[in-house]
Amino acid sequence: MLCRGDKELKLVDGAATDFAAKELAPNREEYDQYPFGPFWDKVVKKAFGLGFFHASLPVELDGMGLGLSGLSVILKSLCSQDASLGGMIFTNALAQEIMLIAKAEKLFEDKIAQQKDAFGFLLAFPSFNNPSEVRHLAQVKKTKQKATLSGEVPYVVLGGLGSYALLPACQGNEQDFSFYLVDLKGKGVSVSEPIFSLGLHACPAVDISLDKAPALLVGKEGKGKEYFDKAADRMHAAQAAMASGIMEGCFAEALAYCKEREQGGREIVDWSEVKMMLANIAIQAKSAEMMLSRACEAADNNQPKWQAAARVAAIQASAFACEAATDGVQVLGGVGYMKDHGQEKRLRDAKQIQALMGIAPMKKLKYMDSLLGKG
Amino acid sequence: MTYQPCTPEYAQCAPDLNDVAASLVSTHATPRALIKETREVVDLARRFNKEVVRPYVLELDRKVHEDPDFLPWDFVKKANDWGFYTMWVPRLFGGKGYFMHSMSAFVEEIGSACVGMANLIGVHYLGMATLAATWNAPLMMKIFRDVAAGEKAGDPRIISLAITEPGAGTDVEEPDLIDKGNITCHAKKVDGGYVVNGTKIFISNGHLSKWHVVIAYSDLDLPSQNTVCMLVQTGQKGFSFGRHEKKMGQRACPASELVFKDCFVPDNMVALDPEQIKDLKRDAKHTFQQVLDYVLGATRAGVAAFATGAARGAYEEALAFANETEVDGKLLANHEWAQCMLAEMYKNVNLARLAYMETNHHNASSGIYKSMLSKGMFQFSKYAPQFFLDKIAPALVGNGLTTKWLRKQSFDSQPEEELHRTSGWGSLAKFSGTDLGMKNCHMALELMGQAGLRHDQRAEKHFRDAKLLQIYEGTNQLNRLNLFKCLISRACPQSCVFHDA
Repeated sequence: MLCRGDKELKLVDGAATDFAAKELAPNREEYDQYPFGPFWDKVVKKAFGLGFFHASLPVELDGMGLGLSGLSVILKSLCSQDASLGGMIFTNALAQEIMLIAKAEKLFEDKIAQQKDAFGFLLAFPSFNNPSEVRHLAQVKKTKQKATLSGEVPYVVLGGLGSYALLPACQGNEQDFSFYLVDLKGKGVSVSEPIFSLGLHACPAVDISLDKAPALLVGKEGKGKEYFDKAADRMHAAQAAMASGIMEGCFAEALAYCKEREQGGREIVDWSEVKMMLANIAIQAKSAEMMLSRACEAADNNQPKWQAAARVAAIQASAFACEAATDGVQVLGGVGYMKDHGQEKRLRDAKQIQALMGIAPMKKLKYMDSLLGKG
Repeated sequence: MTYQPCTPEYAQCAPDLNDVAASLVSTHATPRALIKETREVVDLARRFNKEVVRPYVLELDRKVHEDPDFLPWDFVKKANDWGFYTMWVPRLFGGKGYFMHSMSAFVEEIGSACVGMANLIGVHYLGMATLAATWNAPLMMKIFRDVAAGEKAGDPRIISLAITEPGAGTDVEEPDLIDKGNITCHAKKVDGGYVVNGTKIFISNGHLSKWHVVIAYSDLDLPSQNTVCMLVQTGQKGFSFGRHEKKMGQRACPASELVFKDCFVPDNMVALDPEQIKDLKRDAKHTFQQVLDYVLGATRAGVAAFATGAARGAYEEALAFANETEVDGKLLANHEWAQCMLAEMYKNVNLARLAYMETNHHNASSGIYKSMLSKGMFQFSKYAPQFFLDKIAPALVGNGLTTKWLRKQSFDSQPEEELHRTSGWGSLAKFSGTDLGMKNCHMALELMGQAGLRHDQRAEKHFRDAKLLQIYEGTNQLNRLNLFKCLISRACPQSCVFHDA
């Protein structure tokens, strides 16, 4: 599906597709019960073993160096079956991206890369918020030797799992903010029970309370907005990939059902209104895939204004995914609304993914600002 | 140009005002008592929301996620204690005698806090309305008075409607499709009654109901002409509950599987079958279609009212968020784009409400409420002494003659255009209201971003709840086709509906 038709990507795609079919799809309902059922530790560890959490990391940092195309291929394939693992990989990759943009490779190597255990490697991050839009920031207090964070940071994804969290913080009423690395097992840190959310149940988030928790500055002070915006530019393509995967799975399940289910004595795929709904889902899925492909090509080749292509792909693909998943449930009727099918989860996950990295309408305004040269 | 009075030629041009402006045509005929009681039930619903629904809504939703088999008996008992299961039952049958017209406003209120809980109350009236639409007076007397006795005893005895089958959802709601459908719930005629075999699925409130209005078919090869509507009681031999579905939303309200294995239903529990209606003007298929149209004209307006509630709930959560959250350095409510989104959501709430209200006017002027709102009947049912209704009237209505008279009056006197109008408007309200409800839920989550995703912020629950409204009571696609059939096809003389190939 993507621009880079190289063998490596095809292998990655094959591995992710196989993993999704064998590990995710058969137990989707069970995994989705979290936080009211067990967490899927084994699946996460297998995904870690396959390198999915290292996909976009450079080789120098023991990553796979697959770039945005590689990450997108993995996310798209996984999300076609179950987007929760995709949510974990996305959050981890976004936090990694910020650390790399902040040139904090050394810190990353010391604290994160050396972790051999899957959960130790996970970097928690409030990936559903843009800190410069809604200022959920901790308060930083600095002395000559160290910095400490206090306050609340809500909805930190992977916060109950990983060893470290990358958290935004500012001093007093300062407008600028910075990113800090916080040891989640360290003193002064407490995490809530997993938050019960709309979708991505097995990609848990927690609220974090900080009370003079030791923290390490990531990159330069006051550069949080710049780091986040740059990372978001790249990760918009990954968001589009998740949405695209959801649509792919949604269409496949809707089509299969329509070929089986009869109404009025014939397969419902032969009812032209149903066929029209299927066509809309297919068109939205294909459009998203094309936008994603274009965005990855532009970003990986560092083409001029590649950021715009990625942002448009994210905005439009996630909107399409919400519409397609709504119709995907509708095509299956009452069955689609039940948890023993994949469609209702896809709808919840699609809506959740739309909120990644900030409020959806603000993304459109930011895109317009970029066109006006204000962003 | 000088004024000239309208001539019949122009007055008869389409669209007929009776079709498109029921409120204009019927407002003057609306009894004042009806307006007063609508205000009363809205006040009551708001109090109930404050005291019962809002403090419990998130806890109940979590409980059902933790234990998918949890049944909210506690809530049903509360609703029973508050008198909600007899509120819209006619006084003649032991109820409080509020008119169904006001129920939509009530469920909108409860639905604005929790559509699932609104369903725990409202679905009871789906069963009640179906039994009422058969005009079987002795059965109504028996069942509704039992519901009233349950209220007095603190023992809820609610009613469900069992129609959907594993292989047939849309088919069973449309007599034009049913003969081609995969229908399996069989009612075999035997001496003294029927023996039922088969399964019903997705039955709202099934596990919580004492009474089940079951639709089965005495001939599976020609179900449209052989529909049997009967009452089955929980605990009855041959009847059991199957699985309790795990739904995306509306978790408070269980969706149940009902299983019938050689379940004998005596004749006195058969509300309607082909034998009972053979003397009516229309054949069995079209009479049963009339029953469905009577019921769905009202209950689809009810679903639109639930959806208005969901649209309102989503809007109110988004508004609260916009009032307390700074985005990009200023209050969200001060962003022009957010103001426009909120205005759009406010509009959606009010358009959804207008749709169900207009449909209720149609039901009052042409549908299920028509006979109840005729002046004499309204005054009688509202103001007749309770002693008379309890002690004397049951003997008068509890015989077959009354049922025959009621059926003649209701079924035979309803012209086709009234049938089409109420059925078409029921569909219009249903798909418009539920689409607008879903639209608002999408918008609320977009506006709220991360906060909207959290269960404790309530918006996501409205989103999950609202989706089902586009599916039950006939999918929105079926309802669009029904609207075409009822209100548009006459302008397309060569068209045929449900024969797409």
